[in-house]
Amino acid sequence: MTARSRRAPGSRMAVAGVPLAGRGVQRQKPHRVIELVNRVSVALESVVDPDVAAWTVLVAFTAGEGLGFNRAYFLLSEGDEMRGTFGVGPRSQAEAREIWAKLRRDQVTPLESIARPDNATLAIERERSAEILGWLSHRGDVKCAAWRRAFVARPGHPSACVGHWLDTLASRLLVVVPLMAGDRPWGVILADNFVTQAPIYVGTLNAAELLGHALRASVERARLIVRLGEEQRHRAAAEHAGTLIETARSLAHDLKNPLALAGGLAADLAAEPSRDADLLARRLGMVSEAISRAETRLAQLVDGLANRALSSTVEAVEVGGAVARVADVFRPLAFSRGVRLTCYRPARPLIAMASVPSLERCVENLIGNALQALASGAGEIQVAVLATESQVRIEVADSGPPLPAGLRADPFAGGVSTRQGGSGLGLASVRAQIQAMGGQVGYDESQEGWTRFTIVLRRLT
Amino acid sequence: MSSSCVLFVDDEAGFLELYRTVFSRLGISVRTAESLGQARQAVAGGGIDAIVLDIRLGDESGLSFLKEINASPARIPVVLSTAYARYQDDVSSWLADGYVIKSSDLTELKATVQRVLEAAR
Repeated sequence: MTARSRRAPGSRMAVAGVPLAGRGVQRQKPHRVIELVNRVSVALESVVDPDVAAWTVLVAFTAGEGLGFNRAYFLLSEGDEMRGTFGVGPRSQAEAREIWAKLRRDQVTPLESIARPDNATLAIERERSAEILGWLSHRGDVKCAAWRRAFVARPGHPSACVGHWLDTLASRLLVVVPLMAGDRPWGVILADNFVTQAPIYVGTLNAAELLGHALRASVERARLIVRLGEEQRHRAAAEHAGTLIETARSLAHDLKNPLALAGGLAADLAAEPSRDADLLARRLGMVSEAISRAETRLAQLVDGLANRALSSTVEAVEVGGAVARVADVFRPLAFSRGVRLTCYRPARPLIAMASVPSLERCVENLIGNALQALASGAGEIQVAVLATESQVRIEVADSGPPLPAGLRADPFAGGVSTRQGGSGLGLASVRAQIQAMGGQVGYDESQEGWTRFTIVLRRLT
Repeated sequence: MSSSCVLFVDDEAGFLELYRTVFSRLGISVRTAESLGQARQAVAGGGIDAIVLDIRLGDESGLSFLKEINASPARIPVVLSTAYARYQDDVSSWLADGYVIKSSDLTELKATVQRVLEAAR
């Protein structure tokens, strides 16, 4: 991703190690610099990865239609170290000739590629410059007298860090573009013409400074976005943990209550045996009912824990695609039963925090239940993925008969099944899994003739 | 303890029956309520010396009733009884005179009720 440097028309060569502003030299044509900076700025607007931001600016440094340097490197300050972060350009003269010949042969204009960065290109540059970036990394005081403005350095430069970079790159003329955060160095861009030995002009130096500022702004913005993403993930994890604790409370209560009751009644009967047969039968019935309830809750606990173990990793998921895949799996079965299965989702991606396997199981469960409800004849199942500003909503509606009365109060409570031999834990499991992802479930029959189940997940924008 | 009256509040009818049987044998007059509404009525009727209160009562929270009792002029001692120990972390539960984890062994509950009644005399 490099091209040969070209001499900018009307520019004069810079003096090594001395900033040229104010020396009365002719500058690079302003409109060309403005056009380049604009082009880079537009490309950086959509960049959310610091590496892509660095690559974009370094391509502008090295492209023939950009600043035309042979190679360029970006170093970032970390504590007391200036660490090599990204580089663009060949490692040797032979590699330079090879790359430039290929660019000419393929008629590639590197600057055009900054509008559509791709991972493969970045990976090639990352691998190519990894070793040099390691060598360029420098610990210690990186300041020098001319650190405020971009300058051209020559071997023998008094600054230890600049001397280190000159030695490492075996550079005869090295452009140093310092990027400052107040009094402290934030980063630096290094560039040279180690193959062509082309002169460096004051206009080029000024343009390099402008691009350096654009890079810093973009990297800071990308870092902020990354940090916000991490915050969002931490918040989701905290909410996830909160949901688990609340579920554990609920389960402990539901499990311990009947056990304590059964044990208490049994202990009392043992301590004070009743001669009243009816009372004895009633107490034993209560003990039996309490133990049975504990068993049911225990089964739910085991089921819920298994689901949580699988859904413990929530990530950004494109919900429309996941739901459509499940609907596609069910479509042939629905068709064979004379059931029309439609799936609506908007063209734009709808991203939510979820676990893909868990989400798919939940949607499978809801569509499976809908098919079960329509087992007696033809009907329709409508699956839809909708969104509000903060939520992604998955609806599974069927035109079958309404739910049995026993289920309507809370179909997700578990313990009641519409299926022959069913445990009734399917919908309870759906709720447990969705809640484990920080989501909610719902049910309504407000639209006449339709039974609708809903999954609501938190939307990531 | 023979003349004392204790109100047991629990949404589980089986527990109320168990409490009635066990505490009646101790000579305690037992009254029961399956909801906070019934409990408020019982307290308003007077004659309650102590309350044994479950925290999770369906959709209601026993802790809110505990605050009501503490704010009332005739403050009745309250023993919280719940299946989940972590409610002890809720500062609201610190307002109670006793805190017992529900168990099939009622020894601790009996001892706590006795202690609370004696302290109230």
